[in-house]
Amino acid sequence: MPENSTYSDEEIIEKVRSEDQELYAVIIERYQAKLLRYATNLTQDEHNAADIVQEAFIKAFINLRGFNTKKKFSSWIYRIVHNETINIAKKYRKETPILENVDFKSEENIELNFEKQEIAEKVEKCFAKMQLMYAEPLRLYYIDEKSYEEIGDILRLPMGTVATRISRAKILIKHICQKI
Amino acid sequence: MSKDLKNIRDKVMGEIRHGDLQMRPKIYFIAGSILVFISLVLSVLSSVFLFSLARFSWRSHGPMEQYHWDQLVAAFPWWAVIFAVVGLIVGIWLVRKYDFSYKINFKIIIVGFIAATIIAAYLVDIIGFNDLFYRRGYMNGLYGQNNGQGMMMNGGGKFNYYKSR
Repeated sequence: MPENSTYSDEEIIEKVRSEDQELYAVIIERYQAKLLRYATNLTQDEHNAADIVQEAFIKAFINLRGFNTKKKFSSWIYRIVHNETINIAKKYRKETPILENVDFKSEENIELNFEKQEIAEKVEKCFAKMQLMYAEPLRLYYIDEKSYEEIGDILRLPMGTVATRISRAKILIKHICQKI
Repeated sequence: MSKDLKNIRDKVMGEIRHGDLQMRPKIYFIAGSILVFISLVLSVLSSVFLFSLARFSWRSHGPMEQYHWDQLVAAFPWWAVIFAVVGLIVGIWLVRKYDFSYKINFKIIIVGFIAATIIAAYLVDIIGFNDLFYRRGYMNGLYGQNNGQGMMMNGGGKFNYYKSR
């Protein structure tokens, strides 16, 4: 599968649709860690997050022929995870925990750097105290490194609203972090 | 987390290999888009038509004739307004299904959609569409309820003219 690493997501999707469904594993490999981290941050529950990501990959596969390959697959799959999370949150509103201490998840090995981890934990505490409408775009921008346009595509918001929410979120997180 | 990741990949790929997961055919999405578009067009057209019918009914009774207010309220096709509003709500809901809709502030879409529908209804009535329908006897059930009542209330106006022909 090494040659597949040179293909873009959209090219692989095209191949999955027309030639080889096995290539869907490449897509899963590319996104599962990022999506699991994203869903965990949203739900504050790793097990729920794993279920959400699995369901998102299943839904994405079923609806793969409805995906427009001229658009970014990453925004599409993040959008599905976002929707799944919202659905789960609505379903289990009372069960959704608001954890005070959540480990900061990253593909980098942050355990090696205690100071970095401490900062990350503090930031995560700040995030947990923020409203989702502000925390989510801020996470997508800084942690998942998405552009304003991609965040707009994921959250179905106009770019202006994304910019406003991120700007407010920065002010909010500053205030919250100063109090912690 | 690595166990979760492996499980996710194995579970999803396992279902694909066993044929438990199947992609929906392209036609499903094309048909869906066409149906949404047709529904949107029908919803807008029916809203425009019903609003214009409501305005026609209002106009034919004479908006300034306060003394016939009760009769006007009784004869006014409120059902048309209700259906027009329902059409608008359905139309706005359908617009939300379009990919571009979230790129624009949704409040602007709603206000624009309602304004466009009401202006179109106004124009349809102004250009004489309702008068034409009334004169030709199309949809007697809809326009017919104004017969007589309109003449009694405001002395006839256009109705008298058409009736006398």
